[in-house]
Amino acid sequence: MNTPDGKTPWKSLVRISWRSLWRNRRRTYITLSGISLGFALTVFFIGIGDGGHNNMIRNAVNMGDGHLTIQREGYLDAPMNHLFIAQGKQLEQQLLQAGIPGRVAPRIQLQVLASTSGNSIGAALTGIQPETDPKTNQLKKGLVTGEWLTTGDPQGVVVGARMAEKLKVKTGSKIVLMAGSEGGGTNTHLVRVRGVFRTGIEEYDSFVMISSLDMAQAFLVDEGANPAGRPVTRVAVFLDDESAMGLWKARLKALSLPAGLVVLDWQEMMPQLVSFVAFDNIGNYISLVFIFTMVAFGILNTIMMGVLERTREFGLLRALGMSPWALFTLVVMETFWLSLTALAIGWVLGGGLHAYFALWGLDMSAMYPGGMATSGTVMDSVIYSELSGARVGMLTGLILGITLLSGLYPAYRALRVTPLQALQT
Amino acid sequence: MNTQTTEASAQSFSQPMAGTKPLVVMEGVTKRYRQGDVMVEALRGVNLTLAEGEFSALVGPSGSGKTTLLNMIGALDKPTSGRVSLNGTDLTQLSGAKLSAFRLHQVGFVFQAYNLVPVLTALENVAFVMVLQGRPPKEIEQRAMHYLERVELADLAHRRPKAMSGGQQQRVAVARALAAEPRLVLADEPTANLDTHTAFDLLDLMHELNREEKMTFLFSTHDQRVLERASRVISLHDGKIEEG
Repeated sequence: MNTPDGKTPWKSLVRISWRSLWRNRRRTYITLSGISLGFALTVFFIGIGDGGHNNMIRNAVNMGDGHLTIQREGYLDAPMNHLFIAQGKQLEQQLLQAGIPGRVAPRIQLQVLASTSGNSIGAALTGIQPETDPKTNQLKKGLVTGEWLTTGDPQGVVVGARMAEKLKVKTGSKIVLMAGSEGGGTNTHLVRVRGVFRTGIEEYDSFVMISSLDMAQAFLVDEGANPAGRPVTRVAVFLDDESAMGLWKARLKALSLPAGLVVLDWQEMMPQLVSFVAFDNIGNYISLVFIFTMVAFGILNTIMMGVLERTREFGLLRALGMSPWALFTLVVMETFWLSLTALAIGWVLGGGLHAYFALWGLDMSAMYPGGMATSGTVMDSVIYSELSGARVGMLTGLILGITLLSGLYPAYRALRVTPLQALQT
Repeated sequence: MNTQTTEASAQSFSQPMAGTKPLVVMEGVTKRYRQGDVMVEALRGVNLTLAEGEFSALVGPSGSGKTTLLNMIGALDKPTSGRVSLNGTDLTQLSGAKLSAFRLHQVGFVFQAYNLVPVLTALENVAFVMVLQGRPPKEIEQRAMHYLERVELADLAHRRPKAMSGGQQQRVAVARALAAEPRLVLADEPTANLDTHTAFDLLDLMHELNREEKMTFLFSTHDQRVLERASRVISLHDGKIEEG
């Protein structure tokens, strides 16, 4: 990239490359418009896509078992009722003392058979602290009849609307819950419906039954647990900052937790959601490939035309003593200016779209009035655009990389210009 | 040796005038290249010596090999056979990169057209070769301005080529060639696109600079009107320098 004397005429290269970009203004404007609009649309789609995914993940985390979950090893694969944590209170205290920025929620998750005079169905009984558990926020607002649970209610449950239909129950109805024990026997308890909720998520509305911790603990006591230890099947950890999940997972693993316990993150707890997001991202990336391919060809066309039109000029520069590599750098620089200008315009347009939809959201209630349920979670009907710093860096880097790559071939063509051949054209 | 004289020189030589140091020496230079299915012999055993400070014209009809000869001397092309040396350096022995370096420091070019970089101003065009040479910015600016003044275009220093006439552009090209302090200025039909008056003005300017700056000039032309300006005329026909 040097002159024959070993000095690179950077200032001249910058000057010539920038001015050359504007030599055919109309062509440059058209190319810039294409790249900028393509990039702005990409920013918009990625922002909405990420916003939708994050919304689904947050809902899944809140309605599910938090960012991090501590439970018995093997419970995820075979959630047997006897795989409980005997000293639940002690574990909760240990986690609270660790200074986790967020909330800690002890829970009991049990597989039961719910029976009424009308029907019998399998159900997931979830015992929570009704006043403080983050799940309450999500489910309480979905109550369609009755009322929410109170702490210490020994018999109360709230059930999903579909479950209520199947069991033919309403507020005040009785349900018999039966759970298999480790020894092969069964334990039964009578509960009473306090309320019915509807989330729009099939898995929740059909199978989930919420009770207080005290009610659910009765089954664990049947399995031999000591009620004084406040047994639970898991403790969910909700972080204020979801980006700190990896950090806190490592920290919790480093704690001297009771033997046989594992720390899992939401991705391990909900692999089906991870798969859905990954699959959905593939769709987004395919769109990106189309847009970026158009961008690449737009740039290739503009720079290539510029190079072909200026063969004689390049010959002049070579005849005057400019090295081939300086000429190569000159063309790459033109590409760089083009992509940088397009990026600036693209970020203004795309950033504007992102800012608007981050503030006001994209209302999709006409298509999904109650939100879109999938993979055990729900995406709200209004999606707010979200762009992380990593996404901004990725998009910027991608467009810069693609544009610079597009400029390599024209630059190579310029590199091969010999002064003699060029001056003869 | 082949020579031809003009009234101005009153001599006809392919050798420089006696007592002057040779700057360019061409010995038995031939150049053949393929054009489609035809092998063209552009130069056929050219022997030529140019002395320092000469103001020489290379004349001949179109296709006689003038441009090819200038390309050989200017290190833009290599001969098929024979030897070309400039200021004692055998150009046939230099690689591409060294030829570029050699051109940068030893040869100034003025072409028939498209002489200037369109996106640079007159001042920047004159400075360009000096920038490539790696001279200090202050020196570049001073020399560029000085030579623009010499070609009487200081007031157009910040104009781009498209805002200048053809004659003005050629004068800027001359200023650029001289500002870089080459040993030799090669001009390939510099007046071809100019009207007679402008052509004479340009030649007068080049001749004046030749006298004052002691710069060696070799310019090609097939325009008989400008020959009287040259101190030496070298005539080329069918790739050969003709006997006088």
